[in-house]
Amino acid sequence: MRYRPLASNNQEKIDSLAIFLYVVLLLIGFVSIASATSDVNQAFYDLSDVAIKQLVFIVGAILIIFTIVFSNVVVIDYFAYGFYAVAITLNILVLFLGREISGAKSWFGFGGFGIQPSEFAKVATAIALSKFLGTYGVRFQGWKNIATALGIFLLPMAIILIQNDTGSALVFLSFFLVLYREGLPGYILMSAVWLGILAIFRIISEATGVSSFYGYGFLLGIGSIVVFFVRKDRGIAILVTTIAVVSSLFYTIVGTFYLKILQQYQRDRIELVLGLKEDDRGLGFNLKQSKIAIGAGELWGRGYLKGTQTKMGFVPEQHTDFIFDAIGEEWGFVGSTLFLLIFCGLLVRLVIIAERQSTVFGRVLGYSLASVLFFHMSINIGMTMGLVPTIGIPLPFISAGGSSLWAFTLFLFTFLRVDQVRK
Amino acid sequence: MDKNKSKQLVFLGLIFFIFVVYTLRLASLQLGDVPYKKMAINNALNKITLYPSRSNVFDRKGKLMVYSTQMYDLSVFPFEITKLDTGLLCSILELDIQTVRGLIADARVRAKKRQKNNSFNNSALFYANLSNKQFTLLRENIYRLDGFFIESRTDRQFATATLSHALGYLGEADEELIAADNYYQPGDLVGITGLERFYEKQIRGIKGVKTVWQDRTYTERGVVKDTQFNYPATAGPDVISSLDFVLQEYGRSLLNGKKGSIVAIEPSTGEVLAFINNPDYDPNTMVGRDRANTFKTLLRDPQKPLYNRAVKGVYPPGSTFKTVMALIAMQEGVLTPETTHGCGGGYRLGSIRVGCHPHGGPLDLRGSIRISCNSYYCQVFRDIIDNPKYGDVKLGYAALEKHLRSFGLGSPLDIDLLGESRGNIPSVSQLDRRHGDRWKSSTIISLSIGQGEILLTPLQMCNTAAIIANRGWYYSPHLVKRIEGFKDTAWDRKYKIKKFTSVSPQYFQYVIDGMSEVTKPGGTANGTGIEGIEICAKTGTAQNPHGKDHSIYIAFAPKDNPKIAIAVLVENGGYGATWAAPIANLMIEKYLQGKPESSKPEMEERIKTSVIQ
Repeated sequence: MRYRPLASNNQEKIDSLAIFLYVVLLLIGFVSIASATSDVNQAFYDLSDVAIKQLVFIVGAILIIFTIVFSNVVVIDYFAYGFYAVAITLNILVLFLGREISGAKSWFGFGGFGIQPSEFAKVATAIALSKFLGTYGVRFQGWKNIATALGIFLLPMAIILIQNDTGSALVFLSFFLVLYREGLPGYILMSAVWLGILAIFRIISEATGVSSFYGYGFLLGIGSIVVFFVRKDRGIAILVTTIAVVSSLFYTIVGTFYLKILQQYQRDRIELVLGLKEDDRGLGFNLKQSKIAIGAGELWGRGYLKGTQTKMGFVPEQHTDFIFDAIGEEWGFVGSTLFLLIFCGLLVRLVIIAERQSTVFGRVLGYSLASVLFFHMSINIGMTMGLVPTIGIPLPFISAGGSSLWAFTLFLFTFLRVDQVRK
Repeated sequence: MDKNKSKQLVFLGLIFFIFVVYTLRLASLQLGDVPYKKMAINNALNKITLYPSRSNVFDRKGKLMVYSTQMYDLSVFPFEITKLDTGLLCSILELDIQTVRGLIADARVRAKKRQKNNSFNNSALFYANLSNKQFTLLRENIYRLDGFFIESRTDRQFATATLSHALGYLGEADEELIAADNYYQPGDLVGITGLERFYEKQIRGIKGVKTVWQDRTYTERGVVKDTQFNYPATAGPDVISSLDFVLQEYGRSLLNGKKGSIVAIEPSTGEVLAFINNPDYDPNTMVGRDRANTFKTLLRDPQKPLYNRAVKGVYPPGSTFKTVMALIAMQEGVLTPETTHGCGGGYRLGSIRVGCHPHGGPLDLRGSIRISCNSYYCQVFRDIIDNPKYGDVKLGYAALEKHLRSFGLGSPLDIDLLGESRGNIPSVSQLDRRHGDRWKSSTIISLSIGQGEILLTPLQMCNTAAIIANRGWYYSPHLVKRIEGFKDTAWDRKYKIKKFTSVSPQYFQYVIDGMSEVTKPGGTANGTGIEGIEICAKTGTAQNPHGKDHSIYIAFAPKDNPKIAIAVLVENGGYGATWAAPIANLMIEKYLQGKPESSKPEMEERIKTSVIQ
């Protein structure tokens, strides 16, 4: 494994499969947006304003692609922290100069267009993290290095949280997956999953009014029994005791947090997704309409331009966060599965490309891209199908909007460009 | 295995895991049992009901009597109310805030009931029958009231106030009806009484449907092109009533200040020419927003203006019944036109005495009718039921009862109105209950002169006159001549088939001869006749245990080929000749001569202006 700056010699051909999948997704996105924003009895070529705008964004994306392809790859390495600094600055500036859209102050407005710096923060963070971990002598060891690596993506995450754009902030959690690849021990992630399960159980018990003592009883009871059987091996006994105590502590914290810190609307949202609450109006309305839209597609779909759920605004944000509903409704099970396959195909391809990198920089960048895309995709589609809480993040390459498209295009092609010089 | 390789596999496994889970979820949504597609269609398609106009109703000469007018309702998608400007709504509808909240809650309940397959697009009636002012204000402000919209439907307008009991009124369909007939939706108007009720299914027309695409805000987004989802409303067909508008108006004016009924029938067809009650109500007050309030007021009115006495009121027919008795006696062979009976100012038999007014001695049939001799009919009655050929008074009476029933008495005449009374012709068992098992002809002698247990509706009285006019048959009386484009064999069977009495036609002439002298000198209604018209009539004075006698009169004219049969009943009017006879004769004159001026202006003036308390 080489810890060296990128060099522009020995260029390979750019990865055509990844580009092919990207183009396919872009087309699916545009076609879906055109349908979701058109009226009934309206022909396809009679494009809606949103679709025309998206066309402009796509042209912009193509310009970005050409700029990257024809510029020197060394720039990426050289200005890695520079990009990061600019992104952080912009995200702080937007707090003061930004336009508030649905509660979040995360947009710079330019007339009819808006730019969301948090979208670009993802790619800048990924480059900075790659640069840091790819620096000679830096290993993912030692609290100082770990703290720096964490700090690189937790800083923008914090700023974006302040912008009140929870969804975009949460995306930065996907960098933990990258750290896992780079040496973060698996048990830490496992612990996180375990704590997640604990949290969900605590919330269910709070929401359904089941006494939390069952939880404590279970944790400490099982813990005691296990300790009793392994009492000869002091090491394991101490570990189990620690797990039980820490888990119980966490269980308490979640309960307090859930009841005392979270607002009622946040609790509602969580309970809705956990299936603890029926609500056909308000919050539940969106979720229900989204499920109706997808379900209405049945096997073969209702046909292109015939999705009334998406067209008639029953589905909220039908051309941005809920664009998958348009695919589900109009193309049915066959089309949506195919779409999932294409998207997952791109992810798999990116993981494979990432693994073939000879530099840490390239590999971290590739895993960052794959992880962020994976996070976006699973949260977004999971949300439309009611598997995940309603978190407003776009479906990359598909959702309408320039910032997301441009940022991910930048991200993808930066990586593909780095991949060209992998040897 | 290489540690890095395994970490890569974890990544690929994660992607694979999500792919599988999401595909399964897609399958459960898209290939599962929940009818999401139907829900989606219910969301986006809105079937807008197009209300048809109810039938126009014309009189027999083509005069428009009832027609439909436009009326507006405020409806709401109750779950779409986001930021309601309650103050605006309150001020337009002139309601207080509590009422408005109550109405919204109501609408929610009703919309929820209509909610099928989890679709949310159900609207409910919020406020029916907007006044003109409310409509104008709402039309200007509707965009400020999220979820509210104005719907139009039709209401009724009556050309005259005299048609209340014949045509009836409309009301909102109640829950029972809505449950029974899915044609109706809450707020729909439906005939409650009169022809509006009886012919509801024809008169209401056929609702149409316009299916439109609608978005989440219930804004119309274009008509669904598929024609199976769209069809226009069909107005109710024209209804040609048998009523004569002029006669109806005239009769009502003659009844002013008096309680009673006038029914006139064209004998040759059974068509009702006039159908009048007093007290009645102005049907134009029973439309629109005031309907409910008006109805409550009318219901509480001690004068009972809603009471349709022409078909629901029952009265002893009094002396008018002598005509029927004479006919039956002749049929039974116990009376001939030449039979005479004496009268010494009344009929005496043991302790029983039926009084009679003074008149010259022994009378034949013709004279007994002209003069209305009680004694004569007591004798005739006894001759019928004590007829030796039956051997027993009860068998004799049973024969009489059978004849009476053949005149359509004691059972409804099947007029095309609901709630018609059957009147009463006592059966043997009823007499047994009333008088004990061992009654004799003398016990029930008052039946001979139309008193006692015999009760008739004014309609039955009129129909009796029609039967005599026809010399022995009748059609069931009806208020509708025809409905355009409506063919119904059941209707034809009911109203187009002659019903014959058990009295042979040859006997009628003798009774008619007597009736033709009633309005002439020496007759009981002398002085009320009309020059140039041979009116055959019979007066009656029905004893009324609750107060002054009822004044009754049945008649038809002309004697040959009669055009009109009529019965008039004036409650507490005393002698038949005092009120009922002049009213009926004026009606006959109006119908047969059709002149604006009566030949007897003083009589007309006296009738129109008198009031009976």
